[in-house]
Formats: sequence, C-alpha cells, structure tokens
Amino acid sequence: MSKYIQIGKITLLEYLVYRLNYIFWRVRSVIFFLTLFFFWLAIYKNTTSVFGYSQSQMMAYIIGIAFLRSVVFASRVGDLPGMIRDGTLTKFLIQPVSIFKMMFFRDTADKLLNITFTIVEIVIILAIFKFPFYIPQHTFTYLLFITITFVAVFLGYFLNLFLSLTAFWTEDPWSTRWVFGVIFLEFFGGSYFPIDVLPSWLASIIYLTPFPYLLYFPLKVWTEQLAGFQALQAVGICIIWTVIFYFLSRILWKKGTKNYGAYGG
Amino acid sequence: MSAISVSHFKKHYKVEEKEPGLFGSLKSFVHKKTKIVKAVDDISFEIKEGELVGFIGPNGAGKTTTLKSLSGLLHPTDGKVEVLGYKPYTRDHKFLKQISLVMGQRFQLWWDLPPIETYLLNKEIYGITDATYKKTLDELVELLELKEVLNIQTRKLSLGQRMKCELVAALLHSPKILFLDEPTIGLDVVMQKKIRDFIREYNKRHNATILLTSHYMMDVKELCKRIIIIDHGKLLFDGKLDEIIQKFADHKIFSITFEKQVNIDVLKEFGEVIDSVEQTVRISVEREKSSEVAAQILKKFQVADLSIEEAPIEDIIRSIFNKGKVNV
Repeated sequence: MSKYIQIGKITLLEYLVYRLNYIFWRVRSVIFFLTLFFFWLAIYKNTTSVFGYSQSQMMAYIIGIAFLRSVVFASRVGDLPGMIRDGTLTKFLIQPVSIFKMMFFRDTADKLLNITFTIVEIVIILAIFKFPFYIPQHTFTYLLFITITFVAVFLGYFLNLFLSLTAFWTEDPWSTRWVFGVIFLEFFGGSYFPIDVLPSWLASIIYLTPFPYLLYFPLKVWTEQLAGFQALQAVGICIIWTVIFYFLSRILWKKGTKNYGAYGG
Repeated sequence: MSAISVSHFKKHYKVEEKEPGLFGSLKSFVHKKTKIVKAVDDISFEIKEGELVGFIGPNGAGKTTTLKSLSGLLHPTDGKVEVLGYKPYTRDHKFLKQISLVMGQRFQLWWDLPPIETYLLNKEIYGITDATYKKTLDELVELLELKEVLNIQTRKLSLGQRMKCELVAALLHSPKILFLDEPTIGLDVVMQKKIRDFIREYNKRHNATILLTSHYMMDVKELCKRIIIIDHGKLLFDGKLDEIIQKFADHKIFSITFEKQVNIDVLKEFGEVIDSVEQTVRISVEREKSSEVAAQILKKFQVADLSIEEAPIEDIIRSIFNKGKVNV
C-alpha cells in the first residue's frame, strides 16, 4: 500500500511544480460554476419553481455539480492513452505495481487537491452571494448520499479507465475521449442541468446508461427528490454498473497489454 | 541453472501498410492492408547467472524486441522464453522485483521532479528497507559521482547525468538481471567509459546477469566476453568475442614500414592495399597466406618495421552483416 501512497505524493509534487498552470485550471472551474449559477439565478427571478425544482434545490444541484465533479470525475486516468501511444506505459509495466491501483491513487491525490479548492471556492461564493441552499431533512439522506457518491467514484474511475484503455487499439484516442467526455459524461451525467429537465422519453433512455449515476442520481438523493426505494435502487444500479465496468476494464487491460508494442525506444 | 533461457523464440508483428498521399489514406481506410513483420524469428540461447553478454546487430535486427520480451513487455508469438524460471509476460511481481530494464532512449525518472523523488518511489515499489535503501543509494551515488544532482529537477540535468541517475533508479532494488538497451547512446567518450566501468564493476560486485545491447562496439568489446549477434531476427553468432575473429576474420592486416619508398603496385600481389602514408603501407592479406607473405616481404624489401594484426572487430562484424545470413 505504501507504494501507492508514495505515487499519490508524487502526483501532488508534480502539481506544485506547475502551480500557475493549476491555478488557471481552477479559474476555469470557477467560471464554469459561475456561468451555471447566474443562468439559474436569472431563471428563478420571476418564479419559485422550475421543472419541479425549488430555487434552493436547484442551487444545491449546481453547487453539488461543482463539488461532485471534483470527486467523481477521474482526471489522471486520461493520461493513459498518451502513455500507451508514446510508450511511457513501459516504465510501469516492468515494475511490480498494479497500474489500476496506481492510476486510482494518482486520481485520488488529484481529487483531494481539487476538492479542497472547490470547497474553499464554494464557501467564498456562498458568502458573497447569499442564497438559499437545500439542506437534507433526514439523517438517512446523508448516509445514502455518501454511499452513492462513494460508489460513483469507482464507477467514474472504471468508466474512464475502460475508455482510456481503448487506446491500445485506436490510433487516435482523443476524438473518442472527447466525444465521450463531453457528450456522455458531462451531458448525460447531468453536468449542465438536471436530466429530468429533458423530455421524459429522452430522460428514460439516459437512465438506462451508466452516466446519470455519476452526478445526477447522487444529487437527486441530496435534494431528496427520490423516494426511499428509488434512492436505494439507484445505489444498486450504480453498483452493478461499477462491477460491469471493472470487469470490462480488466478484459481490455489483459488483451491490450498483450497487444502493446512498447513503442518508442 | 540458466538465468535466461530462450528457445525457438519468435515475435511477429502485424503492421498496417499505407500508400502515400490522401488517396492512399482513403484506400487504406476502406481496405486495410497488413503485413507480418518478423522482428525475431526463431532464436535460441541460454545465459548463465553472472554472465555479461553483449547483444549486437544493426538497427531493426530484433535486439530491443528480444530485451522487451525478456523483461515481460511483449508476449512471444511462439517459442519459450524463461527468465529466472518465470515466464516474463505473466509479469509476476516476484519476477519484476528481480529484474531491471534500462533503455537509453526512455526514462523512468519523473521528468518534472528531482531524481531523489523517483528513488523514494522505487524504494516503496520494490519494498526496500530503509537501511538497504540508504546503503545502496550511497554506494551508487558514490560510484557514479552524483551527489550534487540528486535534488535538481530531472529535466534540467544533462544527458550524461540523467543516464547515470537512470542507472541508479534501475539498480536500487539490486536486480539479479539487468537489461541494458543502448545505455551509452548519445553520450560523449568520457561518459561512455564511465558508464562502462560502472557496469563492469556492478557485474563483478553483485554477480548480476547483464544483457547489453549497443551500437558502440567499444561497449561490447570492453565489457563482454560473450556476444550474440542477430540480424533480421535471426541469430548469426553466439560465442566468445575472440571466436568471432577466428571464425569470421579471413584476413589479417599487415602494417609495413619500408626503408625507402616502394611502388605500391608491386605490393598488390600480396593482398589488398588499404592505405599508404609515406613509407608505411597497410595491406589486407588472406589469413592462411599470412606467414608466407610475411616471409616474402621481408626477403624482397628492406623493411624497417612489420606488424601483423587482426582485422578490427568492427570491420569483421560489418562484413558479417553485409554477407547476410551466416551459417554458424
């Protein structure tokens, strides 16, 4: 275990080398958040409820997005396609480390940093623009929210891992990742707006995919818009998707490393 | 027991062929044309524990492919590859803990961090105890004179410094088997020698099995008693360095200094004239005739000095590659 913790440390050290770069990245996130924030603030100017969301629920949703994005979306796994293409993966393959665990810990280090910044940013924004923010009524909700978020972290990781590993075969991993990243993860995940804002036929199709379990369902749990049974069901399905993508990643990894040419050098 | 055992090992790649130009790209988009490249084609050899073996061949001969297969990066297409009793491609952690692969063109050091961070990580990865880590690191740093650079960002180091730091990273866990792929590439002569001396010393001190590839004959000549020559994926020679000379050097080099200028044309009957500088002429003479030719020259001319040498190993090997496949 200590080796993976050391990998996490190294990840943080790398960020410290390029502080300015990281600060710009944070600025980007804040702008993304503020855009959503002012957009919804404008909508709630003349009304108290939109698509069944009260203003405090909607605000909780978009703050939740800012927070959950830094918890759930795996960022460092995205390095894998590049590592496969230029052969950097080689150095890890000849060491007694598990790449799955290594990438997970790199992600975790990255997330810890992002979560810290996100919390500070949110607190500052909340202090400046005072507005109602939905706080769950039942203690059980907190437990459920923590559980589904915890599972969503793994779902996000294995989903991204699965995608990144396709780089063993595709020559151009970026287009695949971009389409997937933007359309599926962000859009279907509920990054821009709650999915139940969409026409119900479209929403029910999206519910069949793993994506809404990353952001949308955890936030629905938080805003207590899911009945107890529905919430438990969401947790269950989230677990199933996670297991599926874990095994799919394993299969891709096994076949991919067999296919790997270790090019470059 | 052999440390490394390879028999009838083959590695074939499927590569896409693309015709040039936009039309070619479109064509290959519709119909992919692939061909099989035989990077390594049926080679066998055994290496004993503690041996230092040189692996030579021109670019694309299959050297790196072999090293990659031995270290578990590539799956053999066919044949048996065994290292320390393990099948490398299973990448058993117990196996990986005992080997190291250093590639002259690929670095394991973390680019943005000082080398010491990579070492600390490797300490954890290989489960090295504090005491052993300190002892090994001190020893390596001392041998390679690296004290000053350990805390400097890797990307700011010179190529030579980086290569030395790279060796430290690869050796911290005292691997039983060390694969070195072009460890001296791009380095100046002084640095090349330092690295060579270090490799020799390491081999002696730890009885480590070392397999080394290099473009520089000096590396191989100075370090390895045994060499393996491959080309186009085939094994051309496996044996002692001096055996190559006996086996393949069919000519000897005569270096003759005459008392006075002689007509070079007269010398052509003895062998091929390589060059002549003032009164000194070098001729390449057939091996079997050499003693006879020496006697004749001494009789016919007034000779100030005569020396007979083996052809340089570089030339012999070049001629092996030029001839293509040689039956050994």
